[in-house]
Amino acid sequence: MRISWNWLSEMLDLGKVDGPQGLANLLTARGLEVEAIERQDQGLEKVITAKILERLPHPQADRLSICNVTTGTGDPLQIVCGAQNMRAGDTVALAQVGSLLPNGAKIEAGKIRGIVSNGMLCSEEELKLAETSEGIMILPAETPLGRPLAEILGRNDTVLVLKLTANRGDCMSHWGIARELAAALGQKPKRAALELLDFKKKGPISIHLDADEAAPQFFGCSIDHVKVGPSPEWIVKRLEALGTRSINNVVDASNLLLLELGHPTHAYDADKIEGGEIRVRTAREGETLPLLDGQTVTLSGAELVIADRERAIGLAGVMGGGNSEVQPGTSRIFLECAEFDPVRVRRAAFKHQRRTEAAQRFEKGIDPSALPHVISRLAGLIIELAGGEIRGACAAQTPSRISPKRPEIEVTPAYFEEFLGMPVSAEIAEPILIGLDCEVRKKGSQWRIIPPPYRLDLSIKEDIAEEIARSLGYDKIRERIPPLSSAPQSIHSAIQAARFAQTNRAKDSLMRAGLSETLNFAFTSKAWLAKFGMTSTAPLLNPLSEEHEVLVPSLIPGLVRNALECWRHHFGSEVVPIRLFEIRPTFFGTFEAIRALDEQNTGVEERWSLSFAVSGTRFAGGLRNEQGEVDFFDIKAILETLFESLGTKGVRFQPLSASRSKSNIQELFHPGKSVEVLAGKDVAGYFGLFHPGKARELKVPAPLWIGELNWEVLSRLSRPVYESPAFKTWSEFPPIERDFALLVGEGVTADKITQVALKAGRPLAKVAKIFDVYRGSQVVGGMTSVAVRVIFYDESRSLQESEAESASTQILEAWKKELGIQLRS
Amino acid sequence: MIKKLEEISAQALRDLEAASTLEALEQVRISVLGKKGTLSDVLKTLGSVPAAERPAIGAAANEWKRKIEAAIETRKASLENAVLQAQLERDRVDISLPSRLPHRGSLHPITQTTRKIIEVFSRIGFDVVTGPEVETDFLNFEAVNIPADHPARDMQDTFFMGPGVVLRTHTSAVQMRTMRNQSWPLRILAPGAVYRNDSDATHSPMFHQVEGLWVDRDVKMSDLKGTLLFFAREMFGADAKIRLRPSYFPFVEPGAEVDVSCFLCRSKISDSCRVCKGTGWLEILGAGMVHPRLFEMAGYSEAVRSGALTGYAFGMGVDRIAMLLHGIPDLRLMFQSDVRFLKQF
Repeated sequence: MRISWNWLSEMLDLGKVDGPQGLANLLTARGLEVEAIERQDQGLEKVITAKILERLPHPQADRLSICNVTTGTGDPLQIVCGAQNMRAGDTVALAQVGSLLPNGAKIEAGKIRGIVSNGMLCSEEELKLAETSEGIMILPAETPLGRPLAEILGRNDTVLVLKLTANRGDCMSHWGIARELAAALGQKPKRAALELLDFKKKGPISIHLDADEAAPQFFGCSIDHVKVGPSPEWIVKRLEALGTRSINNVVDASNLLLLELGHPTHAYDADKIEGGEIRVRTAREGETLPLLDGQTVTLSGAELVIADRERAIGLAGVMGGGNSEVQPGTSRIFLECAEFDPVRVRRAAFKHQRRTEAAQRFEKGIDPSALPHVISRLAGLIIELAGGEIRGACAAQTPSRISPKRPEIEVTPAYFEEFLGMPVSAEIAEPILIGLDCEVRKKGSQWRIIPPPYRLDLSIKEDIAEEIARSLGYDKIRERIPPLSSAPQSIHSAIQAARFAQTNRAKDSLMRAGLSETLNFAFTSKAWLAKFGMTSTAPLLNPLSEEHEVLVPSLIPGLVRNALECWRHHFGSEVVPIRLFEIRPTFFGTFEAIRALDEQNTGVEERWSLSFAVSGTRFAGGLRNEQGEVDFFDIKAILETLFESLGTKGVRFQPLSASRSKSNIQELFHPGKSVEVLAGKDVAGYFGLFHPGKARELKVPAPLWIGELNWEVLSRLSRPVYESPAFKTWSEFPPIERDFALLVGEGVTADKITQVALKAGRPLAKVAKIFDVYRGSQVVGGMTSVAVRVIFYDESRSLQESEAESASTQILEAWKKELGIQLRS
Repeated sequence: MIKKLEEISAQALRDLEAASTLEALEQVRISVLGKKGTLSDVLKTLGSVPAAERPAIGAAANEWKRKIEAAIETRKASLENAVLQAQLERDRVDISLPSRLPHRGSLHPITQTTRKIIEVFSRIGFDVVTGPEVETDFLNFEAVNIPADHPARDMQDTFFMGPGVVLRTHTSAVQMRTMRNQSWPLRILAPGAVYRNDSDATHSPMFHQVEGLWVDRDVKMSDLKGTLLFFAREMFGADAKIRLRPSYFPFVEPGAEVDVSCFLCRSKISDSCRVCKGTGWLEILGAGMVHPRLFEMAGYSEAVRSGALTGYAFGMGVDRIAMLLHGIPDLRLMFQSDVRFLKQF
């Protein structure tokens, strides 16, 4: 909201306030934040009036002239000017050397095409006084010389731009701000003496409240013989400074009053009100209403309208009707000053997308006690500006407004200090409250506080405490760390805290594996998901754009996009390595349509995923042949390390080709170089090479390894953060090692070989590991040469060679029998 | 014969001194001590020496042999050393070649900042709680004193998913969830992603908050101020200051905007400070005393009636704090997953 310093000065003595900045500080300290201070003379500080004594042609340039100007005193100044519209004797606007004009131009002394110029003669455009202008600004001949242009033009006001909070509807006017400041400055705000209208002297138009409490009050006034015309200059300027365009004297009066008192009012052309009656009623479904802005709206039947006998003539609290508009030539008018239900106004304003100044004030609530005063002031102002005579005034109120109930807040004065933790005695609190127009009724140590009718935000004792605190200043509140009264009952939170800690543990592990954490938006486009064969079951109703229309069912499409973007942004011949991970929720609507199931459940399942995308060199630095490219076993290592640091138990890897489950996500993986991660019977996720076909479709320039694990499953199978890994002892006795060179047939996997060895060599065979694999000319076709080392030991004694020998024999037999494996000769 | 021994030995010592390679040295050894070596040859003639002289000659021969052997060992060590030295002369790496650097992973600055914040508050007894990002309108708005059609709804442009379902606009929803599922006293911290329908250099449709809540008997506004001052000092340095300004959030009363003194220019106000832009203060927090309506919605009404159950709440934008701490100029960088960005933290 915009507040004029000059206007405020008419209501208050601002002599003790340290200028606009001081006022801004005071308001901000009281909770009315000042966002900006706009001086109207900004950029005009060094622009003064001057008279052209003579105009001479520039010897070097046809389009330039040399003007010798006087500012009334001192020597004439020589100015080079490019405009053509000035003559000797003209009074003009001179930007003196050192000016920084509103358009950003800096005026310096210098030569223009060889001729000294000591300033600039300005156009209205350059001074931002007009959008466009031809030539320089020529002022009236009688304008005094050497005076600041801002003063001559009456641009001497300063506007404070306030960012009001939603609870302070009472401050949406100059009067409201003055009232608030008066409390701070210990003053009484001034307002013009006023004669109230006589609401018993009914005019030609009757008022009917057909919507009960949705429109509990309506005050009207009929004025005849007005002369609609332009407003005086001071009103035009004041309105413009505050961001409102002047229309005509009647409409301007209503708008000015809105800015002065914060109460929306409206003037109708009385001749266009059919049947001599005004009704406030609920709109009829499908009813149409032409509005002041020239458009016609179709009403839903929920809005409140102002109507005459026949039709709607205004959207109550939002905007007047075009069918009853005051225009040049209107001579009989009818004034409205009413109260409407904030919710009804807010809904209508939203529905018809017209969040007008009026609607913004009604939806925050207006002072219900002020209506007689406001309409009397409006009538007086219109008669002052447009003439006319009052034909009558009328009022309609529901019983709730005829005898209004005001909230009473009970509190003991000691409460303020107890609650706020700042020194507040009854002697301090009482004058503050009285200064804020509260009534304080005392009964022993109990206070009953009745807030003023315009403070709709004050209804509980905490509200009163805030009034005290902000009046004294929040800086007076003490500072202490509260004592812990007892341990929190945190079973609920402990579970969440543990899971949060476990997520951090997973992030740390992936970071140590050289991956960078990324955060993608939870939303994406349907089109992008479709490229991955995915659809979302969790769409947004009002997305920011098509790019953000649905919640993600998987983190992989986002990570692949990240990789593509990184590659696209990278200049140079190398393919930049991608090592990204993300642990974030994925979203699944479990019902056909998303709706709240109860107070706490949305029916949208949030399943956290741990996902990654890796591509490029194995090392960040080093010579090319040493770096190598990441392959399957690097990715497998990342996951094994992750499971180890999480203490994850019961997770198995199975070749994707052997998967028995069906899921769209499988299509994203190379069938021979990917893994289905199993947890019991459940699928816990997938990892492997991004399918080369998909990669080609999406123009992925390098092999990309991706994975997505269900973090819900994984975290359940992982060691709880409050459990510590148990110590395991090792054998102090020397082991015996045996190496075997085996010929292995098609389809026998490495893990089978080691599993069989460990089983057959029980209990002494403790470790079996593959240490070399060879296929080639030295081996019979279709066979693979595999080198296996088996380590035998006993925790409690040294082994005999013969024991290892017999265990080895058993292992060889089992290999032969179960896997058809032979020793390589 | 003794003389001959001396001659041979002296010659041998001269020869092996002259041997410049291990091979030459070996040659000398063989020529003197070998089966057909000069010394051996002399000893072979020992039989022709009178018996009485034999022990002396034998002793002398052995003495010479030991001397020669020792000299060979010394010479050998010296030659070996020379060979090693020569090898070391040649054996060099160019230490300026690039190292085989492993990839350095990183955590997102928002994660790191969240952790820092949690660390500070956990020291004074706060627990982490979490909640869903898709939230009911009830918990996100209604239960935290923002009823339908309330003007305060304008403060938060909301993403809607369906009737009564929104993307949470603040982590206050988590506080209400926790209060409804757990009794007081409460000291909880709710970190997480939140969503608002807004996007520019300083607004992202998804961003992050940490919200704190302390509920107990006789919690005062001075406790809130003390807690936030503690936080500011732990987070931004021991000389950090805070400033509270009255403001309005529907879930608290009284409410406050909280500014922290600029950690870069230490509020020595200068227009050039890139962090505070010359104001000396950073707006990073909203806070206040829990509105009694929330206790009612949480089912704590009984406790409120029977004694002074009060509480304070605060909320801060993690993204903004992370931007300030790292000097990140544009919020959008946080969510673009550019490796040039992510690898810096």
